[in-house]
Amino acid sequence: MIRKFVGAVAAALALMAGLWLMIAPFALGTQPESGDWIGATRSEFFTGLGVAVLGVVGVAAFVASIHEELVARGLVTVRERRPRPEPRPAPEPAPVAPQSSSAELATLLAPLVEALREDLNRTGEHRQNGTTTLVGAEDDR
Amino acid sequence: MKAKMGLTALFLIFLVGLWLVVAPFAVGYQPRGAAYADATVNDLWVGGVLAGGSFVVLVAYAADALREITGRGRHSAD
Repeated sequence: MIRKFVGAVAAALALMAGLWLMIAPFALGTQPESGDWIGATRSEFFTGLGVAVLGVVGVAAFVASIHEELVARGLVTVRERRPRPEPRPAPEPAPVAPQSSSAELATLLAPLVEALREDLNRTGEHRQNGTTTLVGAEDDR
Repeated sequence: MKAKMGLTALFLIFLVGLWLVVAPFAVGYQPRGAAYADATVNDLWVGGVLAGGSFVVLVAYAADALREITGRGRHSAD
Protein backbone atom coordinates (compact mmCIF):
# COMPACT_ATOMS: atom_id res chain seq x y z
CA MET A 1 0.00 0.00 0.00
CA ILE A 2 2.71 2.45 1.03
CA ARG A 3 4.79 1.73 -2.04
CA LYS A 4 1.83 2.46 -4.29
CA PHE A 5 1.32 5.73 -2.49
CA VAL A 6 4.97 6.59 -3.00
CA GLY A 7 4.59 5.73 -6.67
CA ALA A 8 1.59 8.01 -6.97
CA VAL A 9 3.49 10.86 -5.34
CA ALA A 10 6.46 10.33 -7.64
CA ALA A 11 4.17 10.33 -10.67
CA ALA A 12 2.54 13.54 -9.48
CA LEU A 13 5.96 15.17 -9.11
CA ALA A 14 6.83 13.98 -12.61
CA LEU A 15 3.62 15.58 -13.86
CA MET A 16 4.66 18.90 -12.38
CA ALA A 17 8.15 18.55 -13.82
CA GLY A 18 6.62 17.92 -17.23
CA LEU A 19 4.51 21.04 -16.98
CA TRP A 20 7.57 23.02 -15.99
CA LEU A 21 9.49 21.67 -18.98
CA MET A 22 6.71 22.83 -21.29
CA ILE A 23 6.88 26.41 -20.10
CA ALA A 24 10.60 26.57 -19.29
CA PRO A 25 11.79 27.92 -22.68
CA PHE A 26 9.41 30.85 -22.36
CA ALA A 27 10.00 31.36 -18.66
CA LEU A 28 13.77 31.28 -18.95
CA GLY A 29 13.78 33.38 -22.10
CA THR A 30 15.66 30.91 -24.26
CA GLN A 31 12.89 31.06 -26.86
CA PRO A 32 12.84 34.35 -28.77
CA GLU A 33 9.44 35.99 -28.63
CA SER A 34 9.22 36.35 -32.38
CA GLY A 35 9.94 33.64 -34.86
CA ASP A 36 9.61 29.89 -34.97
CA TRP A 37 10.50 27.65 -32.11
CA ILE A 38 14.18 26.81 -31.87
CA GLY A 39 15.44 23.26 -31.39
CA ALA A 40 15.81 23.60 -27.63
CA THR A 41 12.23 24.82 -27.26
CA ARG A 42 10.83 22.01 -29.38
CA SER A 43 12.83 19.41 -27.50
CA GLU A 44 11.88 20.68 -24.06
CA PHE A 45 8.23 21.28 -24.88
CA PHE A 46 7.50 17.88 -26.37
CA THR A 47 9.60 16.06 -23.81
CA GLY A 48 7.69 17.89 -21.09
CA LEU A 49 4.41 16.98 -22.74
CA GLY A 50 5.40 13.32 -22.73
CA VAL A 51 6.49 13.49 -19.09
CA ALA A 52 3.22 15.17 -18.11
CA VAL A 53 1.15 12.53 -19.88
CA LEU A 54 3.16 9.76 -18.25
CA GLY A 55 2.70 11.46 -14.90
CA VAL A 56 -1.06 11.59 -15.33
CA VAL A 57 -1.16 7.93 -16.34
CA GLY A 58 1.04 6.98 -13.40
CA VAL A 59 -1.03 8.89 -10.87
CA ALA A 60 -4.28 7.45 -12.21
CA ALA A 61 -2.92 3.91 -12.24
CA PHE A 62 -1.50 4.05 -8.71
CA VAL A 63 -4.58 5.71 -7.27
CA ALA A 64 -6.80 3.12 -8.93
CA SER A 65 -4.58 0.37 -7.55
CA ILE A 66 -4.76 1.82 -4.03
CA HIS A 67 -8.54 2.06 -4.29
CA GLU A 68 -8.72 -1.53 -5.48
CA GLU A 69 -6.66 -2.70 -2.52
CA LEU A 70 -8.78 -0.74 -0.06
CA VAL A 71 -11.92 -2.29 -1.49
CA ALA A 72 -10.36 -5.77 -1.29
CA ARG A 73 -9.53 -5.22 2.38
CA GLY A 74 -13.02 -4.02 3.09
CA LEU A 75 -11.92 -0.56 4.15
CA VAL A 76 -13.84 1.10 1.39
CA THR A 77 -17.28 0.16 0.28
CA VAL A 78 -18.22 0.55 -3.29
CA ARG A 79 -21.51 2.25 -3.82
CA GLU A 80 -23.73 0.28 -6.04
CA ARG A 81 -25.15 2.35 -8.75
CA ARG A 82 -28.87 2.22 -8.58
CA PRO A 83 -30.39 1.73 -11.95
CA ARG A 84 -32.59 4.58 -12.91
CA PRO A 85 -36.22 3.75 -12.41
CA GLU A 86 -37.73 3.29 -15.77
CA PRO A 87 -40.60 5.62 -16.42
CA ARG A 88 -43.85 3.86 -16.05
CA PRO A 89 -45.55 3.34 -19.33
CA ALA A 90 -48.55 5.54 -19.72
CA PRO A 91 -51.73 3.66 -18.95
CA GLU A 92 -53.27 2.51 -22.11
CA PRO A 93 -56.61 4.08 -22.78
CA ALA A 94 -59.43 1.70 -22.33
CA PRO A 95 -60.28 0.23 -25.66
CA VAL A 96 -63.44 1.72 -26.89
CA ALA A 97 -65.69 -0.86 -28.27
CA PRO A 98 -66.84 0.34 -31.63
CA GLN A 99 -70.06 -1.53 -31.12
CA SER A 100 -70.97 0.41 -28.00
CA SER A 101 -70.06 3.79 -29.55
CA SER A 102 -72.21 3.18 -32.58
CA ALA A 103 -74.98 1.96 -30.34
CA GLU A 104 -74.74 5.13 -28.26
CA LEU A 105 -74.73 7.20 -31.37
CA ALA A 106 -77.78 5.39 -32.62
CA THR A 107 -79.48 5.95 -29.28
CA LEU A 108 -78.68 9.65 -29.40
CA LEU A 109 -79.83 10.07 -32.94
CA ALA A 110 -82.94 7.96 -32.62
CA PRO A 111 -85.25 10.79 -31.40
CA LEU A 112 -83.97 13.06 -34.13
CA VAL A 113 -84.57 10.44 -36.79
CA GLU A 114 -87.97 9.77 -35.38
CA ALA A 115 -88.85 13.46 -35.39
CA LEU A 116 -87.71 13.81 -38.98
CA ARG A 117 -89.73 10.81 -40.00
CA GLU A 118 -92.84 12.17 -38.40
CA ASP A 119 -92.19 15.51 -39.98
CA LEU A 120 -91.87 13.95 -43.40
CA ASN A 121 -95.09 12.01 -42.91
CA ARG A 122 -96.92 15.19 -42.10
CA THR A 123 -95.90 16.97 -45.29
CA GLY A 124 -99.19 16.16 -46.99
CA GLU A 125 -101.35 16.96 -43.98
CA HIS A 126 -102.90 20.34 -43.18
CA ARG A 127 -100.74 22.12 -40.70
CA GLN A 128 -102.15 24.23 -37.95
CA ASN A 129 -100.88 27.69 -37.09
CA GLY A 130 -99.22 28.00 -40.44
CA THR A 131 -96.35 25.89 -39.49
CA THR A 132 -94.46 24.24 -42.24
CA THR A 133 -92.53 21.10 -42.22
CA LEU A 134 -88.86 21.27 -41.49
CA VAL A 135 -88.00 19.73 -44.83
CA GLY A 136 -90.29 22.06 -46.64
CA ALA A 137 -88.82 25.08 -44.89
CA GLU A 138 -85.36 23.99 -45.88
CA ASP A 139 -86.46 23.49 -49.48
CA ASP A 140 -87.97 26.96 -49.60
CA ARG A 141 -84.68 28.61 -48.69
CA MET B 1 -2.48 -4.85 -13.14
CA LYS B 2 -3.07 -1.17 -12.46
CA ALA B 3 0.07 -0.99 -10.35
CA LYS B 4 1.98 -2.50 -13.25
CA MET B 5 0.76 0.29 -15.46
CA GLY B 6 1.97 2.83 -12.92
CA LEU B 7 5.34 1.10 -12.71
CA THR B 8 5.59 1.15 -16.49
CA ALA B 9 4.88 4.88 -16.46
CA LEU B 10 7.60 5.37 -13.84
CA PHE B 11 10.06 3.38 -15.92
CA LEU B 12 9.26 5.47 -18.99
CA ILE B 13 9.71 8.62 -16.91
CA PHE B 14 13.12 7.30 -15.92
CA LEU B 15 14.02 6.86 -19.60
CA VAL B 16 12.74 10.33 -20.46
CA GLY B 17 14.86 11.74 -17.63
CA LEU B 18 17.90 10.14 -19.19
CA TRP B 19 16.94 11.60 -22.53
CA LEU B 20 16.67 15.05 -21.00
CA VAL B 21 20.20 14.77 -19.69
CA VAL B 22 21.62 13.96 -23.10
CA ALA B 23 19.19 16.09 -25.16
CA PRO B 24 21.23 19.34 -25.16
CA PHE B 25 24.15 17.53 -26.67
CA ALA B 26 22.13 15.22 -28.92
CA VAL B 27 19.90 17.92 -30.36
CA GLY B 28 22.80 20.34 -30.61
CA TYR B 29 21.64 23.42 -28.75
CA GLN B 30 24.60 23.18 -26.38
CA PRO B 31 27.82 24.00 -28.23
CA ARG B 32 30.84 21.97 -27.25
CA GLY B 33 33.29 23.73 -25.04
CA ALA B 34 31.01 26.66 -24.38
CA ALA B 35 29.48 27.55 -21.03
CA TYR B 36 26.22 25.77 -20.36
CA ALA B 37 23.22 27.62 -21.68
CA ASP B 38 20.18 28.15 -19.51
CA ALA B 39 18.24 25.50 -21.43
CA THR B 40 21.04 23.02 -20.89
CA VAL B 41 21.21 23.66 -17.17
CA ASN B 42 17.43 23.32 -16.90
CA ASP B 43 17.40 20.07 -18.85
CA LEU B 44 20.24 18.60 -16.82
CA TRP B 45 18.57 19.42 -13.52
CA VAL B 46 15.08 18.33 -14.47
CA GLY B 47 16.29 15.24 -16.29
CA GLY B 48 18.56 14.27 -13.44
CA VAL B 49 15.84 14.69 -10.85
CA LEU B 50 13.34 12.76 -12.95
CA ALA B 51 15.69 9.91 -13.68
CA GLY B 52 17.07 9.75 -10.15
CA GLY B 53 13.69 10.08 -8.46
CA SER B 54 11.95 7.51 -10.57
CA PHE B 55 14.89 5.13 -10.18
CA VAL B 56 14.76 5.42 -6.39
CA VAL B 57 11.02 4.83 -6.37
CA LEU B 58 11.32 1.81 -8.65
CA VAL B 59 14.03 0.30 -6.46
CA ALA B 60 12.05 0.99 -3.28
CA TYR B 61 8.97 -0.58 -4.84
CA ALA B 62 10.90 -3.68 -5.82
CA ALA B 63 12.50 -3.91 -2.40
CA ASP B 64 9.15 -3.66 -0.63
CA ALA B 65 7.67 -6.29 -2.93
CA LEU B 66 10.60 -8.59 -2.18
CA ARG B 67 10.17 -8.02 1.54
CA GLU B 68 6.52 -8.94 1.27
CA ILE B 69 7.31 -12.11 -0.66
CA THR B 70 9.92 -13.23 1.85
CA GLY B 71 7.49 -12.50 4.67
CA ARG B 72 4.89 -14.73 3.10
CA GLY B 73 7.46 -17.51 2.71
CA ARG B 74 8.40 -17.24 6.34
CA HIS B 75 4.78 -17.48 7.43
CA SER B 76 4.13 -20.50 5.24
CA ALA B 77 7.27 -22.21 6.58
CA ASP B 78 6.01 -21.72 10.13
